[in-house]
Amino acid sequence: MTANSALKIDNLHKSFGPHQVIKGVSMEAQKGDVIAILGASGSGKSTFLRCINLLETPNSGDVYLGGEKIRMRKNRHGETIPADIRQVERMRARLAMVFQGFNLWSHMTVMENVLEGPLYVQGIPKSEARDKAQALLAKVGLSDRADYYPAHLSGGQQQRVAIARALAMDPDVMLFDEPTSALDPELVGEVLSVMRDLAEEGRTMLVVTHEMGFARDVSSKTVFLHQGEICEEGPPSQLFTNPETEQFRAFLSRMN
Amino acid sequence: MSVEQLLAYIPLDVALIAANFDRFLWGVWMTLNLTFLALLIGGIIAIPMAIARASNHRLWNPVIWGYTYVFRGTPLLVQTYLIYYGLGQFTVVRDSWLWDPILSSAWWCALIAFTLNTAAYTTELLRGAIIDTPKGEVEAAIATGHSYRSRMRRIILPSAFRRAIPAYSNEVIFMLHGSVVASTITLQDILGVGRWLNGRYYLAYEGFITAALLYFIIVFAITRVFRWIERRYLRHLTRRSEPTPSVELAPSPIR
Ligand SMILES: Nc1ncnc2c1ncn2[C@@H]1O[C@H](COP(=O)(O)OP(=O)(O)OP(=O)(O)O)[C@@H](O)[C@H]1O
Ligand SMILES: [Mg+2]
Repeated sequence: MTANSALKIDNLHKSFGPHQVIKGVSMEAQKGDVIAILGASGSGKSTFLRCINLLETPNSGDVYLGGEKIRMRKNRHGETIPADIRQVERMRARLAMVFQGFNLWSHMTVMENVLEGPLYVQGIPKSEARDKAQALLAKVGLSDRADYYPAHLSGGQQQRVAIARALAMDPDVMLFDEPTSALDPELVGEVLSVMRDLAEEGRTMLVVTHEMGFARDVSSKTVFLHQGEICEEGPPSQLFTNPETEQFRAFLSRMN
Repeated sequence: MSVEQLLAYIPLDVALIAANFDRFLWGVWMTLNLTFLALLIGGIIAIPMAIARASNHRLWNPVIWGYTYVFRGTPLLVQTYLIYYGLGQFTVVRDSWLWDPILSSAWWCALIAFTLNTAAYTTELLRGAIIDTPKGEVEAAIATGHSYRSRMRRIILPSAFRRAIPAYSNEVIFMLHGSVVASTITLQDILGVGRWLNGRYYLAYEGFITAALLYFIIVFAITRVFRWIERRYLRHLTRRSEPTPSVELAPSPIR
């Protein structure tokens, strides 16, 4: 592992009951990498992403964030659990996640959503956090919506707030799970353009997406997941022009 | 028409009610202090119980479930009698330090019964609201790095309390109505004064009608307060206002 490694996943396995969903996936993101994760519905993309910040507990495999391993242990039933929940919480604070369904806290205003993590997880002073939140809302083009409740925003606006909320934590790695799939087609563009800016700034991102254009133009590496395994991976220029496996070719032709 | 003539049309002894009105005001005070103290204390103890229920705590969940099941499954009147008349049957209770200031007093017994009763209902109501917190919002809190305690305190409870407000306003009114039970163990709450007036002067309606009116006024005030609270704290649940249809509603320029 190089000093430049932002996130490394080593041989991850996850089953739900007898159903094996992730069957030994390894992946490494260097700082500034944008990894696009593609795959058919049910191929395990969300499960993989959720195992990284332990929203799901993997059955085996290791996750390293900036070289630090998330320590796991076995409980007395033989199940894998975090060895130190405090460590996991610290890791999660450095691994921001953007969800398909936005998941903004509905009883909080836009500003309160963005302030929540910095104030109550990181303990940053209020005035500093507020300045940063204002700057982030300006960055996603929502300065004038700071006092709105999520329910009073469009889907595209909500997702941009969710991105600002994620950025407010100054995360080392950002995880995106189909951030545009729940949006009306005309709202997809505004969210993708914010994500493009983030990639250009050098943010490390793992992006599960069905937006082939985004994967091709923005990602530094594209990974195609098939039935819980990496079927094909590489630079998008190579993958999209020269798909090697039958599965990926079939997937691409279905997407276009 | 003079006031006296007008009053003659009302088949009630208004003068008698007016003469005893200060008693009714004391009754209002008794009803309000019993009801709202019970709601306050019951509400506070309901919070940890609801959290334990919602998080399926291995020890406390079944214990609290049993408690709320019993208190919601039996009438408040019976609960009050059991505490007021029942506990006094035990010499242990009568000899204990609890007896003299507390369990021998009707007011304390009513307060204890009301508190346990409303705590049971409030626990279940809050538990439902906690469980109904949108899963995605809880996951977002986890993903942000909130610990269990801090996401409960910062995200889940504030959201659940707000969503529980409409149901809780019903609980407040039920508790107010339920507080008439106090009048059956000698307390002079609103109904207690009404009963006293009827009994003393051999009247059929005066006391009860005055009592009903007073309860009605209190309920009206409670409803008003809750409407204000809902407007303030449930704004985030209102739907996005649709753009006003200016074209369709504009008057046609051609006649
Ligand atoms: N909590 C769960 N319990 C049981 N099975 C689950 C659970 N979560 C996911 N699965 C199963 O795991 C498989 C992979 O699901 P996952 O959501 O990771 O797929 P996905 O690639 O993200 O699909 P999509 O593109 O539809 O989002 C599916 O068969 C799904 O039914
Ligand atoms: Mg998914």
